[in-house]
Amino acid sequence: MRIRNLTKLLLGAVLALGLSIDDVKAEYPEKPITLVLPVGAGGSHDRNARVFTSVIPTYLGNAIIVKLMPGASGQTGTANVARAKPDGYTLLFTHNYFDQLQKHVKKLPYNTDKDFITVGKLNSGNFSVIVHGNSPYKSWGQLVAFAKKNPGKLKFAHSGNWGATHAPALQLFTEAGIAKSIVMVPYKGGGPSMRGFLAREADFTMQFKSTILGQKGKVRVLISAGTKTAFKGVPTFKDLGYTSDIGLMHRVIMAPRNIPADRLAKLRGALLKVQKDKTYKRLIKAIGEITDYVDGAAYEKQRPAQSKAYKAMISGLMKK
Amino acid sequence: MFESFIEGIGLALRVDTMLYMSGGLFLGMFVGALPGFTTLMAMAILLPISFFLDPLLGIPFLIGVYKGGIYGGSIPAILVSMPGTGAAVATTFDGPALTKKGQARKALEMALFSSVTGDLTSDIITIALIGPIAAVALLLGPPELAAILLLALIVISATSSGVFVKGLLMLVIGLFFGMIGQDPIGALSRFSFGIIEIESGIPLLPMLIGVFALPEIFVNIEKRASAFIKAEDLKIRGDRLTWSEFKSCGRTIARSTMIGTSIGMIPGVGQVVAAFMGYAAAKSASTHPETFGEGEIEGIAAAEAANNAVNGPTLVPLLTLGIPGDNLTVILVGAFIAQGMRPGPLLMEEQAPLVFAILVAMVLANILFLGIGYVCIPFFAKVVTIRKSFLLPLTLVFAFAGTWVFRAQPFDLGVLVFFGAFGYIAKKLHFDVTPMAMGFILGPTLEYSFGQSVTLSSGNLLPYMLFERPITGVIFAITPIVTYLMWRRSARLRKQFGTEE
Repeated sequence: MRIRNLTKLLLGAVLALGLSIDDVKAEYPEKPITLVLPVGAGGSHDRNARVFTSVIPTYLGNAIIVKLMPGASGQTGTANVARAKPDGYTLLFTHNYFDQLQKHVKKLPYNTDKDFITVGKLNSGNFSVIVHGNSPYKSWGQLVAFAKKNPGKLKFAHSGNWGATHAPALQLFTEAGIAKSIVMVPYKGGGPSMRGFLAREADFTMQFKSTILGQKGKVRVLISAGTKTAFKGVPTFKDLGYTSDIGLMHRVIMAPRNIPADRLAKLRGALLKVQKDKTYKRLIKAIGEITDYVDGAAYEKQRPAQSKAYKAMISGLMKK
Repeated sequence: MFESFIEGIGLALRVDTMLYMSGGLFLGMFVGALPGFTTLMAMAILLPISFFLDPLLGIPFLIGVYKGGIYGGSIPAILVSMPGTGAAVATTFDGPALTKKGQARKALEMALFSSVTGDLTSDIITIALIGPIAAVALLLGPPELAAILLLALIVISATSSGVFVKGLLMLVIGLFFGMIGQDPIGALSRFSFGIIEIESGIPLLPMLIGVFALPEIFVNIEKRASAFIKAEDLKIRGDRLTWSEFKSCGRTIARSTMIGTSIGMIPGVGQVVAAFMGYAAAKSASTHPETFGEGEIEGIAAAEAANNAVNGPTLVPLLTLGIPGDNLTVILVGAFIAQGMRPGPLLMEEQAPLVFAILVAMVLANILFLGIGYVCIPFFAKVVTIRKSFLLPLTLVFAFAGTWVFRAQPFDLGVLVFFGAFGYIAKKLHFDVTPMAMGFILGPTLEYSFGQSVTLSSGNLLPYMLFERPITGVIFAITPIVTYLMWRRSARLRKQFGTEE
C-alpha cells in the first residue's frame, strides 16, 4: 500500500515536472503540423504544397506534413479540418471555389466562413481560354458574337462540375451573356478535358498556362486571367471589362477559426518569410507557378465579396 | 527522328541513372507490396525529390517507383490473397491457390518474369509506334470508353468462376455499391442517407482488402489444424519456376502483352481492366479452362503480363500530346514541368533526344527490375514458411493496419469488416466477388463517360453514335454476341464438369 502511494507520488511529481517544463518551452509548434489537402495526388495543389512545405521548416521550427484527403468534391478533407482541434496542428489547403462557391450549390456539413480563418493565400493558378489553332475565332469577341447567334452550337470542355475550370467559365459566360448558349461538357479533371479538346470533342476550353505552353501552334489563346497577361498580345479578363477575379484559382491555407491568436500570427509570419526564400522562388518557378502571395488579414476581406459574386452568378444561372 | 533516338540511348546509359532507377524500383516494389500504401501515394511523396535532381535521374527514379509498384501489388495477392493494388485483383484468382499447394515461389517468379516480359515488350512497341499510339488516344473518347467498359464488365463476369448469371448478379450489386455517394457528373448525393463518410463513395482499398483477404482468413480458420499445410510441404515451397513452365506460358504472355499494350493506349482504362482481359482471354483460349482459379500458373502469367504491359503506352499521350493517361502519369507531369520540360507536341520537337532517353531508360529499367525482383523473391517467399497459426492472425493485423494507414479514418475499418462479411457470405453461397469489385471500380467511370457522351451528342445518342462515332457502334454491336458466346461456354462447361465445384 505504502509503495503504491509512493509510486503515485513519484508519478505525480514527474508529471508536474513535465508540465512545468512544458510551460517553459511551450513554443508552438512543438510537433509537426498536418496540412490537409481536400484533393487528390498529383494535382496543382499537391505540387504547390510539396514545394512550400519543403522550405517552411526553417522558418517555422517544425515540419508541415501533407495529407491528401480527396473525395466528395473536397468535402471529406474540409470536414475533417472543420472537426479537428483548433490547436494549430491541423491546417487546410483549399481554393476559393471550395471555400466560397460550393456553399451556394449544395448543403455542406460545415460552414466555411464560421469554421475557417485564412493563414495566407499562397498563390493563384491562372486560367486562359483557348480554341484550336485553326479555329475561325480570332478573338474572344468573335466567339461571343457567334455563340449569341447560335445557341447550343459551341461546346466547352471543363474539368468537372463546379470544379476549377467550370466555375470561372460559368462566371465568364454569365458576364458575357452566353451562359445558356454554350454546351458544357464535363471531363474528369484538367488532363482529360484537354484530351477532349484536342480530339475536337469541344470547341474551346480553359487551361493552365503550363498546359498551353507545350502545345504551341495547335491552340490559340483568346483571353487570360490575372492583372498582367500571361501571353503576349492576349487581353486579360479585366482588359475586356470582366470581373478581374475570373479565372484565378486562389490556393489558400486556412486554419480552424478558433486557433489561438499567437499561433495564427506565428504561421502567418513563417509563410511571409517563405515568400522571400530563394529556394522557394526557384522551385515555384520551376513548377510553372507564380508568387502572388496575399497575407491572411487581407484575404479575409476578399472572401465576402467572392461569395457575393458567386451567389449572384448562380442565382442568375438557376433562373430560366 | 532516328538520330534523336541514338542520341537518347547515349544520354540514358549512365551509371547514376541506373542507380536511381534501381532505388525507385525497390521502393516501388516495397510500397506496392504493403497493403494500404498505394503506388500513387508513394509517387506523390517522392515527387519533390525529383525537383532537385537532373531530369535523367529524377524522372527514371519515378518511373522505377511506378513500374515496381504495379508488380509489388502481386506479392501479397499471391501470398495472402490481399491485393496490394487494384491491378493485382486478377492475380488473387490463382496466386493464393498456388501458395496453398506450396508453390509460392514459383508463382512469385512467374509474376516477376511475365511482368518484366510484358513491360519490356510494351516499352519497345511504345518506342516504335509512338506516333500512331498518340493518334489512337485522340480517337477514343468518352463514347468509345463507355462501350469498351461495358464489354469489359460483361467479359469479366463471364470469366469469373461459377455460373454466368451469378456473375452478372454480382456485377449489378457492384455497380450499385459504386453508385453510393455523389454521382460523378452532377455531384448530387445518392444512397448516402446523409452519412458524410460515404458522401464520396465507399472507399476502394478497404473494400478490396475486405472482400478478398478477410473471407480467405475466415475460411482458413474454419478448417482444422490438420488441414493446414503439412510439415513436408514446407520443403517444396522453395520450388523454382522451370524454363519449360515459363515457355509453356509463352503464348499467354504474348497475348496478354498485346492486350495490355492496346488497353494502355486508351486513356482512362488502366491496369485493372488489362489484367482481367488478359486473364479472360487466357482462360478462353486454354484447353483446360477448368484449372483456372484453382492454382493455374498460366493465370498468374496472364494477369501480370497484361497489367505491366499498360505502363509503356500510358506515357505516350503525355509525351506527345501533353495529356496524362492516368493518375500516376499526372504525377510525372509535375516532374516534367519542374525540369522545364512541358509535355506536349513541342516537347517532342525540341527535346526529342531527352524524350527518347527517358523511353530507353524505361526499357533498361526492366532489366534492373528483373534483377532486383529476383533477388528479393526468396525474402517474400519466406513469409509462407511462417506457421499458419502465426500467419493467419498476422494477415488479419495487416488487413486492418493496411486499411488504417490508407487515410486514418475509423469509418474505413467498418467498411473493411462489412465487406469482409459480405465476401464470406458470398463465398459460402458460391458467388464470385470479382464481378462485384469490378463493377464497383469501373461503374463510376462507365457512368461518367456515358453522361459525357449524352452531353456530346446533345441528346441524340443514336445518330451521334452511328454517324460520328462508328467505333462505338461496332463495339456495342458485338457486345450481345460476345455475351451470348460467353453464356454458351459457361453452360457447356457446367454440363461437362457438373456444377462449378
